[in-house]
Amino acid sequence: MDIRENLQKISEELKQELLAIATVQELEALKVKVLGKKGSLTALLRGMGQLSPEERPKAGQLINETREQLTALLDEKQQALALKEKEERLLKEAIDVTEPRDLPQIGAVHPMQLVLNEVLDCFTSMGFSVAEGPEVELDHYNFELLNLPKNHPARDAQDTFYIDDNIVLRTHTSPVQARTMLSQKPPIRIVCPGRVFRADEMDATHSPVFHQIEGLVIDKDVTMGDLKGTLDAFAKRLYGNDIEVRFRPSFFPFTEPSAEVDLTCFNCHGKGCRVCKGTGWIEVLGCGMVNPKVLEMCGIDSKVYSGFAFGIGLERITMLRYGIKDLRLLFEGDLRFLKQFR
Amino acid sequence: MKVSMKWLKQYADIPMDADSYESRMIMTGTGVEGIDDLGAELENVVVGKVLTCRDHENSDHLHVCTVDVGEAEPLQIVCGAPNVKEGLLVPVAKIGAKLPGGITIKKGKLRGVESQGMLCSGPELGVPVELYPSVGDAGLLIFHEEYPLGADVKPIFGLDDKVIDFEILANRPDCLCVWGVARETAVAMGTELKLPEISVKEVGGDISDYAKVEVSEAELAPRYAAKVIKNVRVAPSPAWLRQYLHAAGMRSINNVVDITNFIMLETGHPMHAFDLAKVRGRHIIVRKAEKGETLTTLDGKNYELAGGELMICDEVGPTGLAGIMGGEESEITESTQEVLFECAAFDRTSIRVTARALGIRTEASGHFERGVSPATVMDALMRACQMVNELDAGDVVSGVYDYYPHPIIPATLTVSCQRMARRAGVEIAPEEMENILKKLQFTVSRNGDEMVVTAPAFRQDVDQEADICEEVLRYAGYDLIPITRLRGENTMGGQNEKGRRQAALRAQLTGMGFYESMTFSFISAKSIAQLGLPEDDKRNQPLMVLNPLGEDTACMRTTLLCGLLKTLSTNIKNGNENGRLYEMGTIFDAHNRTKEGLPTETPALAIGMYGDADFYAIRGVVEALCQKAGMAYEIAACEEAYLHPGRRAAILVEGEVLAVLGEIHPDAAQRFDITGRAYVAQVNLPVFFAHSVPLGTVKSIARFPAVNRDLALVMKESQQVGPLMNAIKAGCGAMLEDIRMFDVFRGAQIGEGNKSVAFSLTYRAADHTLTDEEITRLTDKALKIAKEQFDAVLRA
Repeated sequence: MDIRENLQKISEELKQELLAIATVQELEALKVKVLGKKGSLTALLRGMGQLSPEERPKAGQLINETREQLTALLDEKQQALALKEKEERLLKEAIDVTEPRDLPQIGAVHPMQLVLNEVLDCFTSMGFSVAEGPEVELDHYNFELLNLPKNHPARDAQDTFYIDDNIVLRTHTSPVQARTMLSQKPPIRIVCPGRVFRADEMDATHSPVFHQIEGLVIDKDVTMGDLKGTLDAFAKRLYGNDIEVRFRPSFFPFTEPSAEVDLTCFNCHGKGCRVCKGTGWIEVLGCGMVNPKVLEMCGIDSKVYSGFAFGIGLERITMLRYGIKDLRLLFEGDLRFLKQFR
Repeated sequence: MKVSMKWLKQYADIPMDADSYESRMIMTGTGVEGIDDLGAELENVVVGKVLTCRDHENSDHLHVCTVDVGEAEPLQIVCGAPNVKEGLLVPVAKIGAKLPGGITIKKGKLRGVESQGMLCSGPELGVPVELYPSVGDAGLLIFHEEYPLGADVKPIFGLDDKVIDFEILANRPDCLCVWGVARETAVAMGTELKLPEISVKEVGGDISDYAKVEVSEAELAPRYAAKVIKNVRVAPSPAWLRQYLHAAGMRSINNVVDITNFIMLETGHPMHAFDLAKVRGRHIIVRKAEKGETLTTLDGKNYELAGGELMICDEVGPTGLAGIMGGEESEITESTQEVLFECAAFDRTSIRVTARALGIRTEASGHFERGVSPATVMDALMRACQMVNELDAGDVVSGVYDYYPHPIIPATLTVSCQRMARRAGVEIAPEEMENILKKLQFTVSRNGDEMVVTAPAFRQDVDQEADICEEVLRYAGYDLIPITRLRGENTMGGQNEKGRRQAALRAQLTGMGFYESMTFSFISAKSIAQLGLPEDDKRNQPLMVLNPLGEDTACMRTTLLCGLLKTLSTNIKNGNENGRLYEMGTIFDAHNRTKEGLPTETPALAIGMYGDADFYAIRGVVEALCQKAGMAYEIAACEEAYLHPGRRAAILVEGEVLAVLGEIHPDAAQRFDITGRAYVAQVNLPVFFAHSVPLGTVKSIARFPAVNRDLALVMKESQQVGPLMNAIKAGCGAMLEDIRMFDVFRGAQIGEGNKSVAFSLTYRAADHTLTDEEITRLTDKALKIAKEQFDAVLRA
């Protein structure tokens, strides 16, 4: 048989067989059968020795061309099969993506810490630094330097926890302000977060232990407008841009003039609802211009410097923020409560 | 403080509705808690006259009446009251009338007879007995005076009034009375203040003919004034007075006592009336009590005095607790003939100390504690005498006793209008400032920017420019305060070091699935005892609170554990699975004091777990925190008594205890009511922060390959794995990059009492690829250390 015919035949047979092949293994077998050491094409190549020297180059070229063609065909088939097999495997590996599993647990900080973080972010971005002081405090710092002389009603035993005649559990974080004024020169801009104590029985709105965030600014020419502006920025940052602040006259021994600060009710946006008892306002904090007597007692010249102070109840703003109705939840540590925060 | 609006309106007009009045007062500094409309529940009830009354044909107790209510036709009303009869004047609830409790009267038929309303009893009208004497009578309420038919009944009972509940600021005791709020009201409303002119009709004689008064305590009684009333005619008070007192929450006693209470409510000056005949020697002596003296007060209680309390005495002994309560002995009775009226100013601290010590709080002591001005005592006393004239309660004897050794001189201040405007941040014209102050009864003389201001006698709270600024601002309007931004020198803001470090720990714990809890800084002695610490452990001797609310607030916490274990217990009891909780807070050491003498306060962290947890889990949490802080630590033994003796450890860093941790001892768990196993760690934060290593230069990544070798070593069960690993690590040097334990096997093959521990060792050199000889040498070294130091041999 002519070599050309033989090649033709091998080619045709291979093409025929390729059609029936479904797996990589079958393909491999076919490849061996044709191109392997004992394959039909290899046999042809070996048989070239019987040809005349003139015929050999021509035949060699023909065989090689065919070999290349067949290899290309086999490769093509190989790729098609591999693709098909991969697709089948992927299909088989499909899982129910809606099946539930245990999740990695991410905890949460305490709701009051969440709110405190926001409050501190707000004030530190306005140039306030965070100052802290002892929770068990000298009477001198807790009361006397803050214009709360010995006979002030707020000092009655029913409000203040005493350790001895001179040491109290601080009733506010204001002693940190006094300590700061005594140790730093103006300009002063501080926020003092911390735990405070009053002899109140625990109920839905009172606790013998609670938290305050007080702020103090001492500089030249500080006005009550600056105080309102600072608290306005705080209120908008914490509760939204539609929140307004309202100042009402009030009294605190360490500020003069003093104000009670109301914010637009976050629940009804000022329309009046049960949360704000129909007034559209919610009382949130107390503030005022630092009493010149306090400045003088703390060694700051009240003719040169003025300042303002404010005090925020962390429990109160946390409860308002998250609609918490009972203060006790904040101290019980029940995970069903804590897990709601993020 | 509750005040009748009718009473208030006598002295200041209120030309607006109650809501507007309330908000105007609040915005000028007089708090209003609420306004109670006394007659809100009563509507369309009028005076009617029973014209005819006959028995109901179908009833043995009902009557059918015709009642004239001043209309063209009388009403036919069926009435069940036994005391109804012709000619009576009675309250008639007409069709559509409203009665207390939300009752509305409708037209109806009673046993077939139409009834066009209802005749009312006292209880049906909800009128307190105080307000109308016959309210308490059985059956139908019967009016004993003539009233026009058809007239609204509310004015008869004083229910045509509103009661305003004022909330007065602590610096304004002068506002704790009708005159005080009237003064503020008049300025706030822009209306005229119409305080009564005081004139007293006296009958001659002289007070000294009737009584002698002797005061020697100028400090405790800066002013003491007295008047005598003779021919006293003790009688019930008129309706209007009873109604005013009732609105204020006081009971009417008789005209004489009611006058003293009326004066206290109207002027803010507590008064006392003595039955002069019962004042022994007719001699009032104001002095301090001697130890052991006794007194029976008006309410019948007996007190033994400690000595030093300010007393009103007669020649025999105490007859009243000054400023707090009078004595029973000299109480006004129906037979009282002569009365001595006392009006005084007492020292607020002295009154408060005495009232607290004896556990008495009265309206009078409340006033004195908050501050009563000596300057206005005489006005109040003379007003009382004027009331005696008006009520015809007796004859006012001429002459007055007035002890007032150091008259109060009102503060005069020189202030700058400009400075005040700057403080307020509001542009207020000097003229306006002057006007406001004058309306508030300040004496003002202004010269351009400078004002010389004298406060009125009743104001004791004004002594500096800032106070004047507030007075001006509250009437100029707090709403005028603009919103301005802080100016001036910039300051560097930010969280402090401790806050930043704690925030990082919180974030890491959150990432590990922990929830933050907060508990009180107080613990009870009982809960410390529940830890079962050795007796001499100083955590057993906490800082004690002198005046706790109860045992739960008696001690300052010496450890966060008590709070944390209680929280764990609560969660377990509430069925919350897999608890992971922590608390960060201050603990107190009473024994180490600061330079200032304060107890040492240390920030601490306590971590707790139960459910899906074990010893290694809690240890892992602490180790992870340590590793994240770049610390080299070791695990050592610890002796904490509340931890399981076989499952507890300390984490040491450079020899200091950074944390103690482990499984809660079953005894402690039981005492804290914890079921199942729970695990805790306590971290000393100052030690933690001190040993945290700030991140400096980082290492570059090794480019030469690592080689792993696994070794299974058989050792005694009692052999701790940690020291062995540490020794191999130390012995093999830097080329041993890591040694990791990955399995522990126990079984017969390796012998009873032994364990086989599998380790994976990772070798790497920074500067070349390791050779086989190097790897063999390192492994042999590890095996040698294991064998020689720990009797651990390669598993066959």
